[in-house]
Amino acid sequence: MLRVKRSQILLYLLPMLITIAVINLTPIGYTLYLSFTNNTLFNGEYNFVGLTNYSYWFSVANTDLLYVIGNTLLYVVVCIALFLLVGLATALALNNQKIKGLPFWRAALLVPWATPYAITSLIWKFLFNYDFGPINQIGRIFLGPQSGIPWMTDPFWAFVAVVIVNVWLSYPFFTVVILGALQSVPSELGEAANVDGANAWQRFRSVTLPLLLPAITPATILSSITTFQMFGVVYLITAGGPVTSADKPGATSFVMIYIYNKILGDNAANIHYAQIATFAVLIFIILGSVTFLTRSLGDSKESLA
Amino acid sequence: MSKNMTQTQFKQPVSNQASTDAHEYAKYRARIEGRIRRRKAVAGFQSALIYLFLTVMTIFALFPIYFVIQASLGGNQNLYSTDLHLLPANPSLDNYVYAFTQEPLLAWLGNTLFVCGFSTLLGLFCSMTGAYALSRFRFRGRKLSLNLLLVLQAFPALLAISAYYYLLQYLNLLDSAPLLGLSLIYMAGSVVFSCWNIKGYFDTLPVELDQAAMIDGATQWQTFWRVVLPLAAPALAASALLIFVGSWSEFAIANYILNANDNGSNLTFILGLVRLQGDFRTPWGYFAATAVITSVPLVVVFLFAQRFFKSGLTIGGVKG
Repeated sequence: MLRVKRSQILLYLLPMLITIAVINLTPIGYTLYLSFTNNTLFNGEYNFVGLTNYSYWFSVANTDLLYVIGNTLLYVVVCIALFLLVGLATALALNNQKIKGLPFWRAALLVPWATPYAITSLIWKFLFNYDFGPINQIGRIFLGPQSGIPWMTDPFWAFVAVVIVNVWLSYPFFTVVILGALQSVPSELGEAANVDGANAWQRFRSVTLPLLLPAITPATILSSITTFQMFGVVYLITAGGPVTSADKPGATSFVMIYIYNKILGDNAANIHYAQIATFAVLIFIILGSVTFLTRSLGDSKESLA
Repeated sequence: MSKNMTQTQFKQPVSNQASTDAHEYAKYRARIEGRIRRRKAVAGFQSALIYLFLTVMTIFALFPIYFVIQASLGGNQNLYSTDLHLLPANPSLDNYVYAFTQEPLLAWLGNTLFVCGFSTLLGLFCSMTGAYALSRFRFRGRKLSLNLLLVLQAFPALLAISAYYYLLQYLNLLDSAPLLGLSLIYMAGSVVFSCWNIKGYFDTLPVELDQAAMIDGATQWQTFWRVVLPLAAPALAASALLIFVGSWSEFAIANYILNANDNGSNLTFILGLVRLQGDFRTPWGYFAATAVITSVPLVVVFLFAQRFFKSGLTIGGVKG
């Protein structure tokens, strides 16, 4: 390690320290502060109200918190399962040396990764359009002119739609991760299992999969966290809708979208900034502890060395 | 394939020696050949299935992109028209000409490039100096700050969006230079991750390099700038790419901070696109052409920088 003057250390740290203090910590501190007040759009002269906002979110009558978090977790589980399934299937197919034209298939399958998600979300939104979207139009060729899936108006189909788009966007990452791991599995291992009389499934289950896990696990954790905080894709497609009843958040109102709609005013006349800040603090606590846990479970020794 | 190869090669000579009866040998041969034929059929069926799967996945992967490109080359069909087009009727570049001339597209791209470029440069500078200090120097509070950075990384800026609004208002950026304010927010949001990533990469470079450079008379800054940074180029490129790509598509904060003027020329392109799509009169071809034009720079950046991706991200020890 280098021995330098303390002032010099500070000089190197200063740009980052200023950035973090002013732009990262101040808003977080302000949000935390707001969560203990009764600040609303119409209440400029607000004061401390203690834990009132926290008890608001945990009160029995208020089911939003549980509903939104539960819905988000369902989304995370469904998406991650499909990422793994599609990623694994594509990686196994691309790892098969008998397949001709591998570079083409590889490039074609990774295309969604290289496109800006915001634009492709808008394109998908159009593809899902009930009357004019090509998905329903192609469906009508086969199923008759009256058919069509209400992608954007039915809670179930809206959920399916944002799952499809997220899978489209994210499976290439898993393909790459799993393919990389597959290629580092020595082929002798499979052959040895072969000689021992293992069939294809047994070979996969007991030889390949255990060797893939070290690559898959961190990718899965990372993806779960980012999917939990997913905003752009879902918001651009459904904006959190469809809303089926006035006192329940929309079917695709995942945590970030829920907060965003609340801050933009939703349908409420008075925006309750303090309550929204409290919700944000609660989500932060969840995300912070999950991140910290997975980090320290992982290779804390290596990362902190 | 390797399975039946090893077995037939193994068994045939054995049975050749063992069987003296020609009739039995023929029976044996027929059995083996039958088995090989069946295996070949199964293998053929398997690869047919794999091709089918790859074809379906390729259609899934490419359809949205194919659809938008063909629409951008087609006539100016309305965004909401009932006839299905899978091939452009009269291919032309009219939509592109329109997109460049009639929409504030260049202004959107300029704004977006400014926001992305500024946040990338500034974010890279802040994170690489900080990462160097965290990697090379030992001081009190070092471990604490590394852990604090981790917790910070878990905090999406979106959660504190109204606080950011007040911050920009307080800094007098909200009305005078909202794009600058926006890039500051993006920059701060990415500093944490890039700092960890670059620090991890610095850790893999032996500190003896720095010591040797300093014995040769380099100052601390020269050592950092001329010796260590060039060696860490993959990590810097990967971090820069992530900041750039992240800012390129960000919608939520931009939508909250930026107020559109009359023709929307002060927006980033994603807000412009949303505006365009929200308008019922927008011809689908114009929207498609605009979407293609605004995607191209990012795809180019991505293709250019992706070779740094693997080493720059994995060596840095940023895992999950």
